[in-house]
Amino acid sequence: MIKVKNLHKKFDSLTVLDGIDEHITQGEVVVIIGPSGSGKSTFLRCLNLLEDVTEGEIYVDDELINSPKVNVNKIRQKMGMVFQQFNLFPHLTIMENITLAPVLLKKMTKEEAIKKGQELLERVNLSEKADAYPAQLSGGQKQRVAIARALAMNPEIMLFDEPTSALDPEMVGEVLDVMKDLAKSGMTMVIVTHEMGFAREVATRVLFIDQGVVMESGTPEEIFNNPQNERTQLFLSKVL
Amino acid sequence: MTGFQAWASNLSDLFYRCFIKEDRYKLLVSGIGVTIKVSLLAVVIGILIGMLIAMCNLSKRKPLKLIGGIYTDIIRGTPSVTQLMIIYFVIFATVNLDKWIIASIAFGVNSGAYVSEIIRAGIMSIDKGQTEAGRSLGLNAFQTMTRIVIPQAVKNIFPALCNEFIVLIKETAIVGYVGLMDIQKAGDFIKSATFIAFMPLIGTAIIYYVLIKMLTLLLNRIESSLRKSDVR
Repeated sequence: MIKVKNLHKKFDSLTVLDGIDEHITQGEVVVIIGPSGSGKSTFLRCLNLLEDVTEGEIYVDDELINSPKVNVNKIRQKMGMVFQQFNLFPHLTIMENITLAPVLLKKMTKEEAIKKGQELLERVNLSEKADAYPAQLSGGQKQRVAIARALAMNPEIMLFDEPTSALDPEMVGEVLDVMKDLAKSGMTMVIVTHEMGFAREVATRVLFIDQGVVMESGTPEEIFNNPQNERTQLFLSKVL
Repeated sequence: MTGFQAWASNLSDLFYRCFIKEDRYKLLVSGIGVTIKVSLLAVVIGILIGMLIAMCNLSKRKPLKLIGGIYTDIIRGTPSVTQLMIIYFVIFATVNLDKWIIASIAFGVNSGAYVSEIIRAGIMSIDKGQTEAGRSLGLNAFQTMTRIVIPQAVKNIFPALCNEFIVLIKETAIVGYVGLMDIQKAGDFIKSATFIAFMPLIGTAIIYYVLIKMLTLLLNRIESSLRKSDVR
């Protein structure tokens, strides 16, 4: 589904990604862990071209996406993105946040989008908030709306960039529950997170990224119980 | 006659000579019309030019950025009287347009430079995450700008734009330089005709003040209704 070949990303002279080769297949829940500044968020942002790639190739459904010939907007419609800071649109109601893109991009009529929106809000347990504005919601509620907003486009892949890092501790659970639910439904997911318990429970595969390369990759059992790489061991000894 | 009575009758005599005699108030009334006409058209032109230049300044394309930069630089670096006279006597010298329209263009060109900075700052004040969220949903740059960024930026831009509008009205007091009879010029004319400085100049000031006060109240009302949708 997503193939990454020899991905490099430089910010001026600073190398953030130093050659990543990765293959993410349909239905996988890939959790990316690693120290801060290791390049894991950058890697995720490269996948939907929020960062332009310095060198290397990214294929989505066998289509090379980091090429000037490609319609970036079409590619992004296949990939939902959830941000650390939620990034809900404060001037729109919750329902408008969810329906804006599908209606504007003519994926659905307004009625269809609202119906879909109601389903999604139900799924994230926020039906009663449809007419509220983002400012009236708690952090956890905002992030659940953000997930619903991304799902409204019927994406094939969902990308999560530290979705719980900006939340108060007591709200982390409600967001993770929604994500677990999503994983169970068979959605392909790539998640950057510091929630090791969640990674262990939900991931089909864990990637440990450090210094811009994938140091180790494997099932949660392999990574958490029996890490091979020295850096993985060091990192896990600090966070677990 | 007491001192006060003498003072009062002297004042009413001045008032009569300056405003009533020979229907001089009519000059001021038509002056108000000219000031309003020129300001209104200028503010529209200013906003249009401002949006255009702001787009140039925010653009990633080097030549557009350069044009925007040069424009703002020249307008900010020269006095508005000079700009008005150049536009009137040089650029539009051979063009057959109403004086007030040419003056409006001059003030609009001037105001555009400042408006562009206001718009640019307003747009840049919107968190980058908003753009990223829009783009990540598959909206193109234009859709993201018009549906997500600008609606939020407007609330930041509006107060500064009101201020610019008020500055612009006062700036138009120099249209006398190209022979238009606005409020200032009318006051000045009365001063020359009557050899009285106090009454016409204070009158001019009061008219400007009342005009701007009324506008400020109106704009404040619009601003607070804009804020109503702001549940923060």
